[in-house]
Amino acid sequence: MRRAWCFGLFLVGAIALGQQRSFVSCPIVRDTKTVPCFLAEYDGEVYYLGIQQDITAEFHPPQLKHEVLVEGRVAEGPRVCGGVPLKPVSISVLKEVNLACNTLRPPEPGIEAPAAPRGPGPSSRPLETAKAPRESLTGPHEFTVLYAFNDDYLDFAGDGVVTEAAAYAKRIGAPSVKVAGYRATTLLSNGNRLIEKSGLDERRAQNIATVLRGLGVSGVTVEWKSEAEPGDGLADASRRRVTILVTP
Amino acid sequence: MRTPFFIFGIFGIALTLNAQSSQYQDSFKVTWIEPGSKAILPEFDAFESTNGTLGVLNASGPVNTDGHPFFTPLGTNGRACVNCHQPTYGMSVSATSLLDRWRATDGKDPVFAAFDGSNCPGLPQNLESSHSLLLKRGLVRIPLLWPPRNADGSPKRVEFAIEVVRDPTGCNTSREYGLKSAQPTISVYRRPRPTANLKYVTSGGTPIVLKTGMLSDVDPETGRPVGMNLMSDAREATLKTQALSAMMGHEEAHAAPSRQQIDKIVEYESQVYVAQAAHIFGGPLVVPGGPTGLGPAALRDHKAGVLGDNDYDPVFGLFNSWQGTDYYRASVARGADIFMFRQFWLRDATHINSIGLGNPLKRTCATCHNAQMTGQDLSAGWVDVGTTNFPTWTEPATWAETSELPVFKITCSRDADPHPYLGRVIYTTDPGRALISGRCADVGSIVMQQLRGLSARAPYFASGSAKTLREVVDFYDRRFDMKLSDNEKEDLINFLGAL
Repeated sequence: MRRAWCFGLFLVGAIALGQQRSFVSCPIVRDTKTVPCFLAEYDGEVYYLGIQQDITAEFHPPQLKHEVLVEGRVAEGPRVCGGVPLKPVSISVLKEVNLACNTLRPPEPGIEAPAAPRGPGPSSRPLETAKAPRESLTGPHEFTVLYAFNDDYLDFAGDGVVTEAAAYAKRIGAPSVKVAGYRATTLLSNGNRLIEKSGLDERRAQNIATVLRGLGVSGVTVEWKSEAEPGDGLADASRRRVTILVTP
Repeated sequence: MRTPFFIFGIFGIALTLNAQSSQYQDSFKVTWIEPGSKAILPEFDAFESTNGTLGVLNASGPVNTDGHPFFTPLGTNGRACVNCHQPTYGMSVSATSLLDRWRATDGKDPVFAAFDGSNCPGLPQNLESSHSLLLKRGLVRIPLLWPPRNADGSPKRVEFAIEVVRDPTGCNTSREYGLKSAQPTISVYRRPRPTANLKYVTSGGTPIVLKTGMLSDVDPETGRPVGMNLMSDAREATLKTQALSAMMGHEEAHAAPSRQQIDKIVEYESQVYVAQAAHIFGGPLVVPGGPTGLGPAALRDHKAGVLGDNDYDPVFGLFNSWQGTDYYRASVARGADIFMFRQFWLRDATHINSIGLGNPLKRTCATCHNAQMTGQDLSAGWVDVGTTNFPTWTEPATWAETSELPVFKITCSRDADPHPYLGRVIYTTDPGRALISGRCADVGSIVMQQLRGLSARAPYFASGSAKTLREVVDFYDRRFDMKLSDNEKEDLINFLGAL
């Protein structure tokens, strides 16, 4: 009975992994008559990552001149912009310059970008402002800031999380705000592992603590877990993080 | 047979329009204000600029310069703020005006002070060649301590090593003034920024800088975050800190000015608005039913800190009413359309493509020049578009004998993030923001300029590398492969010249 249970778990895991794609490759930019689509090729298949939008969008496109770490799940439905859609998808632009990543394809009949919910980019409409702090929050609350691989850049979404955490801490007069930094491992679809550079956990945590203090939060303590979080190929992007625990 | 009549007709029209344009101008007026001249500046003044007239509006009314700290030398070298911030030249100075000034004063005007009005203080000051960067490009020497300092005076952590690999001015290798002097200093050369329309330039200010994910600088008096768009390297937080720094540096003051003096300088700067007011053929730019963003009064009246919206509320307002009108106005309207709507591939621009927007980005000029009325970036706007880093798209090759600017080699440390598009070894004429932040990714990033009063203050870019608006447009056309036709370039130039 126990063996059957274990086999079931293995099967669920295998199916999930089967739908998961984690790979490093050069991005491909596909122009269309509206906005460009961003694609990436892995193991003989082209995957659709997303389109150009503005800074407030959830998807931040990759960059030519850089390889990209793609971590996503194969989504149901037809091909988009000529690629198999991945959703959700996490994009990490790898820092070192790679001049070989320079593929920009022209528009082709029949290949259209999906409509952009946030328009094609800056100056097309006002930016969405950061969400107001949730008044309903009470008690201890943990906020999580996510990062791209090997990166400590606090992006627009992360900015919103830290701002909300600071607002909450100040609203309740929190005597304790614990910041914890992590770095993580990514299990690639080819079985290789990518481990974030050492010290990044501390840098992430210290940066967030500095920002919180600058936003007027007191009682900030900082810790970091030097050892990289293990990777499972399923939720690795969610482990590249800083947590902010606000306790009344 | 029709040709003479045609020429006569055009000539007549030109004379009429020129008269319209020059109705604001008085050819006998003083165009260079000397410190201590005790002039009274009118509420509205107009000065000849390239192809037309620049309007200067003192929104608080006439300004008595007698004893005014902006117009009075407060340091030891005879300079006042006005030396480099002349109303005639859009509250900056043009290279042409500086050359005229050199000839008129035999190089004795305090604007040519050895400290920063020459290529290096150690050079023979009587020689024109010792002031070549100021005279040819309108560049002032900016000596910056290396490494940069934190607010408490301690050295900042720096992510790169810097070497001087070419030093035409001799200042960066000078034992007295250079990188290996007792007080290690890097000299870069930059244009004076216009001290006008400043409610826009100082607007904004979010706690966290979008482009870096780090805390913004704050106003030391109020603790509030500032917009960081004032200086080309964002090194000064407010007009007050800038005025104090300019006094101690550019004016070589030995003692800090009084609080009242600083307040009065800032008060004056904050009420000056400059913009092109008329065109030599097009006549007055502010006309009933015309575009609402032109002329200095529009700058006085508009709200600051507003993001342009191309479709409904563009960066410089709508120009529809000029479409299909006379040659000049129709050209300006087409130029506005190109600025707002002509898409091209914006690529490899640090702090634009590298902040999550993607590389390349299919957008327009107004994507980066997005703040209403000035066309700066609404967020802290330091960007590397290729005006200082090699390949600069503007300067001769690194080792060319014709090189006028210093060349630095930057080597980024292994544990730092590299420059997003140039990697870990970068050659540059000005590391820009990186000289303040110490970050490798900031090398060559310069805070973008406001686009008002351009016709009065050539040359352009912080490095003065574009002599004309045509060279500015050519630069962007090359840099981003915009594929502009000659007619489209002319339209863009007319549009920019009308701002």
